[in-house]
Amino acid sequence: MWENIIDNPTGWKKLIIFVILLLAWIAGFSSRLFAVIRFESIIHEFDPWFNYRATAYMVEHGFYKFLNWFDERAWYPLGRIVGGTVYPGLMITSGSIHYILHSLNIPIHIRDICVFLAPVFSGFTSIATYFLTKELWSEGAGLFAACFIAIVPGYISRSVAGSYDNEGIAIFALQFTYYLWVKSVSTGSVLWSTLTALSYFYMVSAWGGYVFITNLIPLHVFVLLLMGRYSHRLFVSYTVFYILGLVMSMQIPFVGFQPIRTSEHMAALGVFALMIIVAALKYISSKITKAEFTFLFKLGMVVAATTVFLIVVILTYSGVVAPWSGRFYSLWDTTYAKIHIPIIASVSEHQPTTWFSFFFDLHMLVSMFPVGLWYCLKDLTDTRVFVVLYVISAVYFAGVMVRLMLTLTPVVCVLSGIAFSLIFDCHMKEEDTICKEIDAEIEKKKTVEKVKSSRKSRSSDIQRNDANIDSLGVNFKCIVIVSAVLILMLFAAHCTWVTSNAYSSPSIVLASHSSDGSRQILDDFREAYFWLSRNTDSNARIMSWWDYGYQIAGMANRTTLVDNNTWNNSHIALVGKAMASTESEAYNIMTSLDVDYVLIIFGGVIGYSGDDINKFLWMVRIAEGEHPKDIREGDYFTERGEFRVDSEGSPVLLNCLMYKLSYYNFGELKLDFRSPPGYDRTRNAVIGNKNFQLTYLEEAYTTEHWLVRIYRVKKPEEFNRPRVPVSNRKISIPHTFVSKKTANKKKGLIRDKPVKRKVQTMNS
Amino acid sequence: MKLVLENYLLIFCIAITACDCNVSPYLKIVNVDRLIDISSQIVKVTNKITFQNAGSDSVSHFVFTVDPKVIDNVAVIKGRISDLDVSLSVSEISVENRKAWSIKFENPLESGKFSTVDVYYAFIDYLKPYPTKITQNEKQFVKFIGNSYLYIPYHVSKVTTSVALGTKNVESYTRVEPVSYSDSHILYGPYKDLKPYSFHEIEIHYENNAPFLIASQLLRKIEISHWGNIAVEEEITLEHTGAKLKGPFSRYDYQREPESGLSSVKSFKTVLPAMATDIYYRDEIGNISTSHLYNLENSIEVELRPRFPLFGGWNTQYILGYNVPLYTYLFTKGNNYLLKMPLIDHIFDNMVIKEAVIKIILPEGSHSIDLNLPYNAERLPDSLHYTYLDTIGRPVITLKKTNLVEDHIDNFELRYVFPKIFMLLEPLLIIGFLYILFLTIIVYVRLDFSLSKDEDTEQKLRVCGLCSRVINFEHKKLKLYQSFEDKLSALKYNKDLNSFSVNVKSFNSEYKSISAQLSELIAKLKTESPDIYEKVSELLKLDKQLKEIYSQQQTVYVEKLIPGKINKASFLELENGFSKKKEDNLSRINKLLKSIE
Repeated sequence: MWENIIDNPTGWKKLIIFVILLLAWIAGFSSRLFAVIRFESIIHEFDPWFNYRATAYMVEHGFYKFLNWFDERAWYPLGRIVGGTVYPGLMITSGSIHYILHSLNIPIHIRDICVFLAPVFSGFTSIATYFLTKELWSEGAGLFAACFIAIVPGYISRSVAGSYDNEGIAIFALQFTYYLWVKSVSTGSVLWSTLTALSYFYMVSAWGGYVFITNLIPLHVFVLLLMGRYSHRLFVSYTVFYILGLVMSMQIPFVGFQPIRTSEHMAALGVFALMIIVAALKYISSKITKAEFTFLFKLGMVVAATTVFLIVVILTYSGVVAPWSGRFYSLWDTTYAKIHIPIIASVSEHQPTTWFSFFFDLHMLVSMFPVGLWYCLKDLTDTRVFVVLYVISAVYFAGVMVRLMLTLTPVVCVLSGIAFSLIFDCHMKEEDTICKEIDAEIEKKKTVEKVKSSRKSRSSDIQRNDANIDSLGVNFKCIVIVSAVLILMLFAAHCTWVTSNAYSSPSIVLASHSSDGSRQILDDFREAYFWLSRNTDSNARIMSWWDYGYQIAGMANRTTLVDNNTWNNSHIALVGKAMASTESEAYNIMTSLDVDYVLIIFGGVIGYSGDDINKFLWMVRIAEGEHPKDIREGDYFTERGEFRVDSEGSPVLLNCLMYKLSYYNFGELKLDFRSPPGYDRTRNAVIGNKNFQLTYLEEAYTTEHWLVRIYRVKKPEEFNRPRVPVSNRKISIPHTFVSKKTANKKKGLIRDKPVKRKVQTMNS
Repeated sequence: MKLVLENYLLIFCIAITACDCNVSPYLKIVNVDRLIDISSQIVKVTNKITFQNAGSDSVSHFVFTVDPKVIDNVAVIKGRISDLDVSLSVSEISVENRKAWSIKFENPLESGKFSTVDVYYAFIDYLKPYPTKITQNEKQFVKFIGNSYLYIPYHVSKVTTSVALGTKNVESYTRVEPVSYSDSHILYGPYKDLKPYSFHEIEIHYENNAPFLIASQLLRKIEISHWGNIAVEEEITLEHTGAKLKGPFSRYDYQREPESGLSSVKSFKTVLPAMATDIYYRDEIGNISTSHLYNLENSIEVELRPRFPLFGGWNTQYILGYNVPLYTYLFTKGNNYLLKMPLIDHIFDNMVIKEAVIKIILPEGSHSIDLNLPYNAERLPDSLHYTYLDTIGRPVITLKKTNLVEDHIDNFELRYVFPKIFMLLEPLLIIGFLYILFLTIIVYVRLDFSLSKDEDTEQKLRVCGLCSRVINFEHKKLKLYQSFEDKLSALKYNKDLNSFSVNVKSFNSEYKSISAQLSELIAKLKTESPDIYEKVSELLKLDKQLKEIYSQQQTVYVEKLIPGKINKASFLELENGFSKKKEDNLSRINKLLKSIE
């Protein structure tokens, strides 16, 4: 009896699979905890703060209140309809986890659920990847893929603990939808395609990247049709998926009628129509002769294609179907955003990907996945066509935008999993020739009997490989295996290193190491936000650059003018204009916007490179886009086209609000004995405009390391300008400054520093 | 029973003291030394009063009153015998519709005798900053208005009042001769022969940069776990009530000039119990990283720095929590427990708490709760608290008290009954949950829930099962062969035919039974999967051949070797032939077995 259980090979196999998946989950979960262990359980960066705030609101007020939530604390005086402009999947997920735990009397704070949501979902992602790969290739490949996705930096970058963002759960939804889709294509069952649609619905509710699915699946179907691989299974799965997915996706308020009105979704509709036509033709072809059919087919194709095209064009021009959005254009034309939408270009995530970051995020996977791709192409089935299309499109998008590296990562893991599985399959086979002969005989018999199943052809494929491998010596096999294992170990080490060094900074709390190795924590952001939350009027309006909008709303709970949901470009431009104008002009803008406080980030004392002066050019550019008469980018550069803050800098820059607020009182500050007073550590220069006073604002608070400076905007009655007797009044004609930079030479130069970095590290 | 009796006694005592409100006309005050300490934000007054009983009857108590101006600000009042650490019982009474206190002498004061008593009281929220708003670099000045005499319903023969300022910087003070000013003290008096309730206002305007820090709200949670831990968490709202900050806050000045922001609060020290562990200091947006811990001999001192320095009018909020082992505060006898720990604890020196809410969370299932407080506090209705794995909820006792100072750090006593069996409730819950979970998984795996039968896969499974059984039997057979082989070799040496024949018999019988079972299985396989049946029948064929070889070998052994009918060379030749055949056969069997797997 006991022998039976122990000898049972299927049982062992299942157990091993289970254990490996569990370990992958644990490894993925724990490698995402660097930030929690080094700092604390805290929400990271910018967008997660909004998600957290929205989730907390939903948990407190209930789901329906959340859907109807009008946030009057954002975009003052416009406000924001949050319920209708947000993908609620994330909030609902963590909200329901919170609800379930609390109904079981487990009092976990919603913040902790939000912090640990992404690491937990990374486990689900690796399981979904396992199933997807298993469906495409084999269980062994699935296990490899699951382990890869658990620790690959490209995915960890968006799913460390505390990075509470849509992508954290969306990648799981993406992989799971693809698994279900592949499953439904290979089975042709309504059940699986319904599940695909449900999973797609979850994806739609979670992330705007669902557009990737709505285009990739139709593309898959389309390519299959072109390859003449039409089948009833395909017909059933696509039609069921499309209709259900369409109806369900329209239930999300933010998506609404987009699936039938925007160009991004039209491909799915077209393929659906094509599918119906093909099905109809197939049916007719079974009833009539071949010659008639060929004629009918050609006619039908031409007519259908032209009508669909015409309808789409007409609808687009008549405005029923919206044209492509700007972000979408920038996917095809990488220079589009730079010219037309500076606000998109200003975000570092939207920059094209460098070669370096491919290796940085994927390590050896980037060179291994073509191997998997090759094997998929070599032995093509309906489902493998899908993964081929997936990887081709994902590679393209990842090349266009750094951010879309995220969609490439899963499929790279899948293909590399296949590649590694094949390597180990080939090189770890026992030297057992007679056995192989028998096997081969039996396999041959089987393949003759039933060829339809894809698994069979796979095994015959392996057979072929085996035939090649037979000639290899034991030593060679050993070398291959050892080097493969070495590469895998290097991969794991690289993943851990990248995660620990690049992706585990909360960016709210900074840490620096002093010369004796002890760690110093700079908590200036929270210091300032908490000061705002405790010591300003609860309705005070804070003006800051949009990067900090979500954090101010989340941590200080104060009204902001602009935030990271950059839906209103002109409002942002107005704030940019205020920052770029002189104090008195800015005062007019600020009073018209009822600003009570101005918050700026200043890194000159500690050498923090992500501060507002370094972002300043983007403010100017965005302001110039809306107010070309008042703000000209050229004015902020020196005659030689340099952007510098020292005495040689452009006088317009040296007298603008942002400059004054950053450097107020800084001119006298001596940081250490070696540097002169007013030495800016970030830009390595002594500032050019010292000893000025502010007329319309006063310093309200500056944090310990001067990182955040908050100014109060004075009320009109508070100005205390000394009266100058008439006799002493002099009208000085200011020296007019003309920059040699013209509007044609748009590109400026920043000395030494990049404008904005994603990974913000300390220079001190 | 005893407890109840004690309670009655207590009520009885209170009933007695309640009528101790008459002012004895025979009691005289010979001498009063007053020390008013106004160097911090709290006004602390110590009166050293010498009484004389001029009457004929003994007097058991005296009545103490304070100026009507400060009566609502009094936070604490205490009496003790002068120079001895024996405290006297104080009870609140009402004299002429005003609040007053009746203090009992330790022993009733006999006629003509003297007694010296210290009466200490502190009042809060009384020193007013003047000017009320200062800039960052200015110093804070406050005004104190007090009484140079003693406001008491007795005749006072002599009174001296000394005011400790804690500073040399005095703007102005009221002169009531005789008065002298030295260093940081102002000495009023001595004044002689004062009537009852005599009052003379003095006003002192002086520099006071002591932190005017009050905890406007304190929520203290004490959660008892009988697994060995008491978790204490204090949620505190701090407010700087000194002169408000006027104009800008300049970080530059604040960092460069030590004189800048003198009255602001950068940090303060909180004293925690010596056994406190796992101390955390955070607020609603996370951990506050600026704190230091010092382990002292009988306490732990935490230096807390708020996120930002507190200037006048600014406020902040934080949560401070720690764990204390259960044995420090909990005493037990059977199922009866006594919790004895401070109702409030130290927050900062010269602290003032405007409003404190204390929640005591007892373990789930405790009952018969009896609370004994060191001073009066409002008891809010009890509630229930649910946390990990709770089913019926933990009883929560909530208390509320306003205007607290350091003198209120005193132990409460809470008795309750907790049946120890409740400790098992939570582990049992987990065990039960896991049991049900595994049971459902077992049931789910074993039962078939599909609506339609999937013949294909089912057949596959059946075949799989049969195959594995066939393999098992074959392995058993192989083992049998092995043992037979051993016996043969044994026979070769000891030539004991008798025991060998016994062994052969048992071997044969076992072999037969296995073969019978195998043939049964094979019959089943034939119907299920002809494919595999072929292989298995091939296997059987091979097996038969093997058996054949063995029986040949046996005959050779029994008939030729043992009787010695064969020469060595030919025997070896035969033997080699056998072993070769066997090996060949065995390897083929093994291969077949693998292919079936």
